[in-house]
Amino acid sequence: MKIRVSRLVVVLLAGAYLYSCAPAMLAQTTKVEEELFLSGNQVGRYGGHLVVSLRSEPKTLNPVTSLDGSSREVIAQMTGDLIHINRFTEDTEPALAKTWQVSPDGLKYTLHLRHGLRFSDGHPLDADDVLFSFNLYLDENAHSPQRDALIIAHKPISVKRIDAYTIVFGLARPYAAAERLFDSVAILPRHLLERSYQEGSLAQAWGLASSPAKIAGLGPFRLKEYLPGQRVTLERNPYYWQTDRKGNRLPYLDEITFLFVTSADAEVIRFQAGDTDIINRLSAADASVLEANQSVHVYDLGPSLEYNFLFFNLNTTVPAQSTEIARKQAWFREVKFRQAISLAIDRDGITRLVYRGRATPLWTPVTPASKFWIDTAIPHPPRSLDQARKLLQSAGFTWTPNGTLLDGAGSPVEFSILTSASNSQRTQMATMIQADLKQLGIRVQVVPLEFRAVLDRIFQTHDYEAAVLALGGGDVDPNSQMNVWLSSGSDHLWNIGQPHPATPWEAEIDQLMEKQLSTVKPDVRKHLYDRVQEIFVENVPLICLVSPNILVGSKNQVANFEPAILDPHTLWNAQELFLPGNGSSGRP
Amino acid sequence: MKAKHGMAILLIFLGLLHLAVFAAGFLAPYDVAEQDRELPFAPPTRIHFADAQGTIHLLRPLVCLMAENSAQFGSYYEDTRKCFPIHFLVHGPQYKLVGVFATNLHLFGVDPPARLFLMGTDAYGRDLFSRFLHGGQISLAAGLLATLLSLGIGILLGTASGFHGGWLDAVIMRFGEIFIALPWLYLLFALRAFLPLNINPSQAFLLLIAVIGSVGWARPARLIRGVVLSGKERHYVLAARMFGGSGLYLMRRHILPQTYSIILTQAVLLIPQYVLAEVTLSFLGLGVGEPEPSWGNMLASVQQYHVLVSYWWMLLPGIALIPVFLSFVLLANALQARAT
Amino acid sequence: MRYLGLRLLQSMFVLLGVSLLSFVFVELAPGNFFDEMRLNPRISSSTVTNLRKQYGMDRPLPVRYFRWVESAANGELGFSFAYNAPVAPLLWARARNTLLLTGSATVLAWLIALPLGILSAARQRGWIAQACELFTTALLATPDLLLALGLLFMAVHFHWLHTGGMFSRESAGQSLWGLSKDLAAHMILPVTVLVLGSLPLLLKHTRAAMLEVLDSPYVRASRALGISRGRILFRHALPAAINPLVSLFGFSLGSLLSASLLTEVVMSWPGLGPLLLEAVLDRDIYVVIGAVLFSTLLLVFGTLLADVLLFAADPRIRTEDLA
Repeated sequence: MKIRVSRLVVVLLAGAYLYSCAPAMLAQTTKVEEELFLSGNQVGRYGGHLVVSLRSEPKTLNPVTSLDGSSREVIAQMTGDLIHINRFTEDTEPALAKTWQVSPDGLKYTLHLRHGLRFSDGHPLDADDVLFSFNLYLDENAHSPQRDALIIAHKPISVKRIDAYTIVFGLARPYAAAERLFDSVAILPRHLLERSYQEGSLAQAWGLASSPAKIAGLGPFRLKEYLPGQRVTLERNPYYWQTDRKGNRLPYLDEITFLFVTSADAEVIRFQAGDTDIINRLSAADASVLEANQSVHVYDLGPSLEYNFLFFNLNTTVPAQSTEIARKQAWFREVKFRQAISLAIDRDGITRLVYRGRATPLWTPVTPASKFWIDTAIPHPPRSLDQARKLLQSAGFTWTPNGTLLDGAGSPVEFSILTSASNSQRTQMATMIQADLKQLGIRVQVVPLEFRAVLDRIFQTHDYEAAVLALGGGDVDPNSQMNVWLSSGSDHLWNIGQPHPATPWEAEIDQLMEKQLSTVKPDVRKHLYDRVQEIFVENVPLICLVSPNILVGSKNQVANFEPAILDPHTLWNAQELFLPGNGSSGRP
Repeated sequence: MKAKHGMAILLIFLGLLHLAVFAAGFLAPYDVAEQDRELPFAPPTRIHFADAQGTIHLLRPLVCLMAENSAQFGSYYEDTRKCFPIHFLVHGPQYKLVGVFATNLHLFGVDPPARLFLMGTDAYGRDLFSRFLHGGQISLAAGLLATLLSLGIGILLGTASGFHGGWLDAVIMRFGEIFIALPWLYLLFALRAFLPLNINPSQAFLLLIAVIGSVGWARPARLIRGVVLSGKERHYVLAARMFGGSGLYLMRRHILPQTYSIILTQAVLLIPQYVLAEVTLSFLGLGVGEPEPSWGNMLASVQQYHVLVSYWWMLLPGIALIPVFLSFVLLANALQARAT
Repeated sequence: MRYLGLRLLQSMFVLLGVSLLSFVFVELAPGNFFDEMRLNPRISSSTVTNLRKQYGMDRPLPVRYFRWVESAANGELGFSFAYNAPVAPLLWARARNTLLLTGSATVLAWLIALPLGILSAARQRGWIAQACELFTTALLATPDLLLALGLLFMAVHFHWLHTGGMFSRESAGQSLWGLSKDLAAHMILPVTVLVLGSLPLLLKHTRAAMLEVLDSPYVRASRALGISRGRILFRHALPAAINPLVSLFGFSLGSLLSASLLTEVVMSWPGLGPLLLEAVLDRDIYVVIGAVLFSTLLLVFGTLLADVLLFAADPRIRTEDLA
């Protein structure tokens, strides 16, 4: 009897104890957010309102369909990804996924989500949201621009849910840059988008005019208000999963406003007037003007990933009526002709006049911004008209007494260079090349056309002779440029979408690029990619010109500002930015 | 008496202007495409009438060498130790006078390595004064061509519409509205893209301006139609009609003169409008292509903020346009005064 | 009344014609919206082609035109590729801002031009006339864009003017009076540019029309009879000179949506201008066609009003009944 009572009391007491502790324990499991600690950055103060300008209006807040840069910039502040590329170190780091394992054959990636995370509307995150998101991106009927990046070796990656916090991704082939795949692939809230998806109206969801209550994400900020044509304001996400070194939940800023300006000049004017705090991608000339202003700081981050180049039309399918182009292609196909042109171009002049010295001359599409991948053994021959002339002579070209260059058949060498009229730098480069080639006796006509007309000629009709364009941006990894290197690629500009490689060296590049795609060891990949660059320099399908430096500016009082070479240059660490002058130092 | 003198002076000024533009090759010291990569955005060269020793050279002024300040891009200093005299009637770059005679005689110039930039240089180091003179050729031609087309078609259709009235008036006016409303920009894009790649950029531009001028008939037509409408009901016109004057006679003798004032006003307004339309066109990628200069694309380059702030001489071509347009305006006023 | 009915019918014809021809023009221009994606190495060309198909851009022109007319009847005016949203609400939100700007500028310009024009015609030798002449020529010779940039530049240096936008961030939630003050402050610069841009035209025409009338026999006769200058000006001369001005006014009304396009772009005013410029350059064709239609509506209305006013103001026309 006694024992039964005491047992009962023990049980009751235990029950009472558990009951009283249970909420705390339960609360602990929901409150245990595994958060990122940020090292090396100053601990900031809460409060403040940052204003950033956007050079065109964002079109949508829908991560599945968004195309243009401005939309993506705003979306980046509102969404989170599984594995993130740190824009500063250019390496991957855990984000929503805290750890992951790779299977021995390199084909399966098992990612473990952090526990206890919530979307910006408070709804918890789990693997079902991840599965849902990837299904959206991979849906063939949605035609998301994100889909192609998730296709490796012609097969889309497979997604499988193991449990509430574990997902397995499957690849068709081992892929060295697999971790980089996940960057900027926003995880979407199933509870908000599933209905739209099933009704087939996903593309119209999350337009700019949507009410903030319908949009939720895992980024540092969430939508507050949108004024058409004027600005979009984001406010702090109270459920954000990152903290600083001291455990304070980020972000520090109360709000970020994106102001829409209509041109680069208007952008500089507003920055000068103090209306905006940060300015992104300045031109070299504007940077010089801003440097005189004591209250702002201009940063020169060095060469970007963008490469400007001159190239010739080597397409086998040219319009039937353009006999002129077909005739001139005989010159363009001659390797020595292209090498001579490359030698005659004054890259230093371009750097000095077009970019005020804030650019780097290039000879391959791999810029010095890719510190690991650039092949430093590639020669950089200085400008030499004599060498150019020797090359042309050995290729069968001659000169008339007054200096005009003639080809083997005796016709004068002249061609037109197409360029986009709206880009003054490239038009300037083309004009300078025109003057350079005049010294070789070649008559060049610069044809600035409207941008879409240029694209139409280069991609659709192939009705052009030579053009000056720029590519790049993306990522340092070579796989981001596959469509340029592969002869079947859609960005293989000089000869687009070949069914078979047109030349032996293009076939070799194809093989090398395919090989490095599946190679996992970095030094083996580098060796292969170095060889690709060497072949490129020998055959010069693109005559690379310069890579402009990244120039950004900020008001002096923006703290923790660490602009980086990868996009988005200034706001990649928006959660760490703070304004010491404004706001309180307490918690929000 | 005064008016006659005034008009004569105006005509002479305009004549000189057109002559200057015509003979741009002779008056300009440099070729329009000649780039001096050492001297981009150089300010106008100072002309000295006295050398370092203090001797005055009135008839042969001096120009000193400009060198770049290595510390800062685009800032220059004058090296007064090395000065060169300006020569007149020199031999310089080749050009074609009136597009026919090849010669290399220029009104003035300096021996290299000195440079004489009367209006400074642009981003490529090209002489702005030479480009201004040559640019006038295409800009004035474009302005006059487009104005002629607009007014010509406008007068024709406007008088027909106002005089005849009825269904013709309705049809013409409705077509006019359609013409005003249509997005001609797309047609221009299409036209420009359709032209062969190796066409002369000035010719391409003239074609575009001709199109703009031709489709711009609607506004002058409407204004003229309004005047004709009320003009044909004037008593003396009705009287002339009763006396048996034919439609054409009435138009020529009585009605058209009433429209002169409007036509002249429109002409004076349209010429600068079309000349400056190129600034807008170059905004959209349809202006005169490089390296051909035109007043429009020289003005367009001033739109960039850093140019506006740092290089004041780039505004000189724009400021030089004011006396040009002023003379057109005054001429129109004088003609108007004579007509009434 | 029969006249009005007939005019309305003709206006429908104009709208139809404009929409059809716009479609044709847009079709002629090279390139399409999706071309820009081709420059991104990470997007394959098949995605681009599929997107084109999804938006129906591979169908022939007549099919697309009829679908668009259908959509216009539904009040949507087509679909924007960039915004993934119907065109009409997109345009209307911006058109309001533009009309606010151009409406104010037009009223202001007329208020300044009429008295100045009349004065400078009445006293031809006076300093007002000479000043007006110089002023208008200087304005004529300066492109609008340069003017806008110059004013912006001054605004940056004298911090009392706003450099863009319609409302400041700080003014959100203020009273109506506060908001109006903020709006007016933001409007100063763009309205100034627009007024300065349209003044030469109005001044010139007013002056020319007045001059012509003041020279006519009956005015000289009135002066000889001893009627006061003021009475002559306003009772006799102005109504006679009003003919071209009425037409101009109709045009002013008709171009309320289109006149300020580039000014808005340079001054960052959130109207139709920036939207339209981007749409034109990006080939977001239904946005462009929708905006053209909006403008046409206003234009048709403007010219109709001008014609009605013309008949009302000039008794000499009323004698003949125009169809």
